[in-house]
Amino acid sequence: MSNLIIILALFGGAILTYIAFKLNKTLGNIFVGLIAIALPVYFFAYNPEDYSVQFMGLTLQFGFTSFANLFAILVVFLGTATLLYSIPYMNKKDNLGWFYFNFILSIAGMMGILMSKDFVSLFIFWEIMTWSSYLIVVFNGKDTNKIGIRYMVYSAIGAYAMLMAIVLINKWSGTTSISHFFDTFANYSTGAKVLSSLLLLTGFAVKSALMPLHVWAPGAYSNAPMSYTSIFSGALSKMGIYGMTLVAVVLYMNTGMDMFGEVLAWLGAITAVLATFWAVFQTDIRKLLAYSSIGQLGYIAVGLGIGTELGVMAALFLAILHGLFKGILFMAAGAVEYRTGKTDFKDLRGLIWKMPFTFFSALVAIIALAGMPPLSGLISKWLIYEALLNSQHYFLIILIFLSSTAAFLYCFHFLYGVFLGQREDDIEDVKEAPVLMVAPMVIISFILIGLGTFPDFVFDQIAIAMSYLGIENVSMDMSVLTNEWGNKVYLKHVNTLFMVVFAVFFVIISLVSRKRTRSVGTKDIANAGEPILPEDNYHFSQDFYKPFWRVISPVMKYRIETFYNRIGNGIEEFFQFFRRLYTGNGQTYAFYVVIFLTILFIVGATII
Amino acid sequence: MVADPILYVALPLLTAFLLPLFGKINKELIRLIPGLLFAFLVYNSFALFSKVTSTGQPIIVEIAGWAPPIGINLVYSAFSGFIAGIISVLALLVWTYSYKFKKVEFDNSLKYFVLLMLITAGSIGVVLTGDLFNQFVFLEIVALSSYPLVAFYRGRNGAEASFKYLLVGGFASISILLGIVLIYSQLGTLNMADIAANIDQMPRNIKITAFILLFLGFGIEAEMFPLNTWAPDTYSQAPGPIGSVFAGMTAKAGIYALVRMIYTVFDFSGSFEILLIMGIITLVVSEGIALRQENLKRMLAYSSLGQMGLLMIAFGINTKTAIVAGMLILFNHAVIKSLLFLSGSFLVYNSKDKLIKDAYGMGKKLPLTAILFGIGAFAIVGLPPFSGFWGKLYLLMASADANMLALIALILAVSVVEIVYYFRVVNGVYFKKAETEVESHKPNWNASLAMIVLAVAIIVVGVYPNIIYDYLVNAADALLDKAGYIGNVLPDFVSN
Repeated sequence: MSNLIIILALFGGAILTYIAFKLNKTLGNIFVGLIAIALPVYFFAYNPEDYSVQFMGLTLQFGFTSFANLFAILVVFLGTATLLYSIPYMNKKDNLGWFYFNFILSIAGMMGILMSKDFVSLFIFWEIMTWSSYLIVVFNGKDTNKIGIRYMVYSAIGAYAMLMAIVLINKWSGTTSISHFFDTFANYSTGAKVLSSLLLLTGFAVKSALMPLHVWAPGAYSNAPMSYTSIFSGALSKMGIYGMTLVAVVLYMNTGMDMFGEVLAWLGAITAVLATFWAVFQTDIRKLLAYSSIGQLGYIAVGLGIGTELGVMAALFLAILHGLFKGILFMAAGAVEYRTGKTDFKDLRGLIWKMPFTFFSALVAIIALAGMPPLSGLISKWLIYEALLNSQHYFLIILIFLSSTAAFLYCFHFLYGVFLGQREDDIEDVKEAPVLMVAPMVIISFILIGLGTFPDFVFDQIAIAMSYLGIENVSMDMSVLTNEWGNKVYLKHVNTLFMVVFAVFFVIISLVSRKRTRSVGTKDIANAGEPILPEDNYHFSQDFYKPFWRVISPVMKYRIETFYNRIGNGIEEFFQFFRRLYTGNGQTYAFYVVIFLTILFIVGATII
Repeated sequence: MVADPILYVALPLLTAFLLPLFGKINKELIRLIPGLLFAFLVYNSFALFSKVTSTGQPIIVEIAGWAPPIGINLVYSAFSGFIAGIISVLALLVWTYSYKFKKVEFDNSLKYFVLLMLITAGSIGVVLTGDLFNQFVFLEIVALSSYPLVAFYRGRNGAEASFKYLLVGGFASISILLGIVLIYSQLGTLNMADIAANIDQMPRNIKITAFILLFLGFGIEAEMFPLNTWAPDTYSQAPGPIGSVFAGMTAKAGIYALVRMIYTVFDFSGSFEILLIMGIITLVVSEGIALRQENLKRMLAYSSLGQMGLLMIAFGINTKTAIVAGMLILFNHAVIKSLLFLSGSFLVYNSKDKLIKDAYGMGKKLPLTAILFGIGAFAIVGLPPFSGFWGKLYLLMASADANMLALIALILAVSVVEIVYYFRVVNGVYFKKAETEVESHKPNWNASLAMIVLAVAIIVVGVYPNIIYDYLVNAADALLDKAGYIGNVLPDFVSN
């Protein structure tokens, strides 16, 4: 039972928080804080036991596997951070009880997914997670039909694909146990193998926004309050990765199904490229981050798709890392929104000295995202390239390279557009965000910095997790590049080298240029010898990368959304035909009865 | 206290006829007495049901002491008892809901409660009776009390809807009667068990003709496409709670008659496939039409037809899992659809055309009603942890066991359509600005109580479905056990 307690406690906590907010706002906030703190304390303190219960003739099994544990750490960690962050961020809004009810419920849903050892309970928690996150996506009441229903419909398509796989697996193997499915997968017929894995992958891919099932993501990510998007993109989307990894690894262990891996890797690469391109041209920070999120999830899918030990390890590492840095970035966007009320690039500039801590965290996150040394983003990129090289996916390398390069564009756009440049009067009195908002960001950014130096901490966890999947003894030392002459390059040494070089240069440059630096205002610049008047603002952030857009726009105009919308409208039009059958005329209705009777008699006569 | 299946039928009928007299004594009595009656029926259901589940034997009541093949009998089995229980609980809730419904005028409320009692007695009678002609009579009671309820508001639309129902319902009556006549002319008996035992003595062509006639007649009552054309009009024109009566009682009576005929009385193997196919067509067409409805009550009506389609699919698959699924869907449809009709009619209470857009912005004005409607919408599309989920899961498992992959995909695709139109409404209720100036009408405490009870049932069964699971399995066993049914009703019958 002890396993379910954490979920039951979260469900209870959600309801109690709702009631607390009905009574008093402060009391509610205290409750949120308590839950945020209790979550990790309880998670790390208690001893997992397996537990199973009979439900409707089905056996529901619960218990943490070491693989789920990896993701659970991320969920718990981000859950705490975002809940604490939410307290000041949401404080001015109404209906907070409802917001936190769904927030905590979706955390409970994620924990439940990770705790489920059978598909039915996994599905139940999956759906709870989906609708609670839906209710947060539509929380602010904007574009509820376009964004909200789109999110719900795509989630439902994914979930129902999964449900179909679940009932089929139940039929084929007589149980819905996840481990039993993996153990007996090899005995399935080819058709069953293809069908079950295809349906499961579809189901999981929707949540991790893999193209062409990503359509819901940009809207949903940017429409939800940023404090939630932080965990939405950071941890909730990882539930899809969690499931995809489980299925993918099983597929590779049963040869003959490698084709799926190729498809997954290609879809991932296409996702990475296109989503990154879209991110480059966004004019809203939330949208930019949303597309960037989709792109990053594409990388993870590439790693999973390659399916070598290295590839899976890289994917898991990036999944954890992405949870951290995307968590920070959405929080930073939220902090900016909280203080300025603006999220469009055209309204924002020069916040660096106004919100220094936010800038620092965002900078660290951006460095990690872009894969630059000295942070561990480099390691994840390196691992993916190496995995691609070793498995001879040369064309995919080109795509990933393209997307990584393009990612620099939006990274720069984000940093420059929001934090750098000349400040305008309208944001002159902007202050740094409240402590509770800044602290989670700064703490996570220090963790990112720490991981840059000591990535083994995560790799140890990944090694434990992957041993559950049947891949033993993975570590960062696996990353070895050799050339024809037998020279070896260890990623670990490369990383250490980068760290040392970076540290040395940082110290040297700081010392050398200490005396030469001088503080100037942002408007103290000269242009071709002409001094710039104070009223001129040379900061520009509109139509960023327009030339680039001109080049690629012919390709980008083909959007899969148009195609889906056409299908959707087609279906609605099709049903209009049936609607005409209900004429509202009693005589027609009587006529239908007679026709139906005639048909029945004809059918009956043929039976005789 | 006594508990007997006969009281299900006898008491409401008797009270319905005596109610005008009670009204002469005190006007309050015409509201109170039906409540007492329905409460007793609920008690009756629980008492009888626990008896049936503990003994495992159905209760057979011989009316007036005549043994079954000649006399009329009631069969209270785990299957029919479950449905009778749902109907009586629903009747009590509808009474609670409409206790202060509209202004209480003597004539109107008298009519309303008399008809409500008749419709309850008729629906339960259809479910319990073991006699084909008796079933026809009860169906007529249901139909005849439905017609005035549809036209209750005396408007042009109500009268028109009622007339359409009358027209199509007339076909149902004639067709059922003809079917019964054919059977009687061949076998000389009207008892279902007796017919079932001797059905192979009927000439095949007459048997098929009788089957077709009964199928058509019961199909009309069970809202099968294309015989359900009357339903959207009646659902949308009748008073709010009557929508839930139609969905929860009369449609259940219709589907019960259909299922009992196919499972027990006749022995065509192909009839299950016909039911399955008709169910699929009903499901797809109704949900498709619901997608673009602008009228809230019509949307709910079409969605209700879709649920009936699901029910037919479940009973058409004809395995034990499928029947359990069918019972679950039946329960869900009764409970969830009632909640939707009851809360939905408050969302558009003062709107003339009952349009969905008149309900916009009601989330703020009627928070309780809106959240109850939301729970209903979440439950009906099958999201866990609400009870609708288990019905869908079981139906899918049953179709998987029967190797019907396309059916699984179809049901799931239709569920996506359901999500679209229900979530549009829920979003509208909460987030859209009111376009028209429609005054909200707060539900009074008794209406709120009825709706809350339904919502609690949805959540409790959704979170912990084990509380009804055993009953459902018993019910499925009872339905599948045809020889047992015959043997229980006709102890002397020796199977050859």
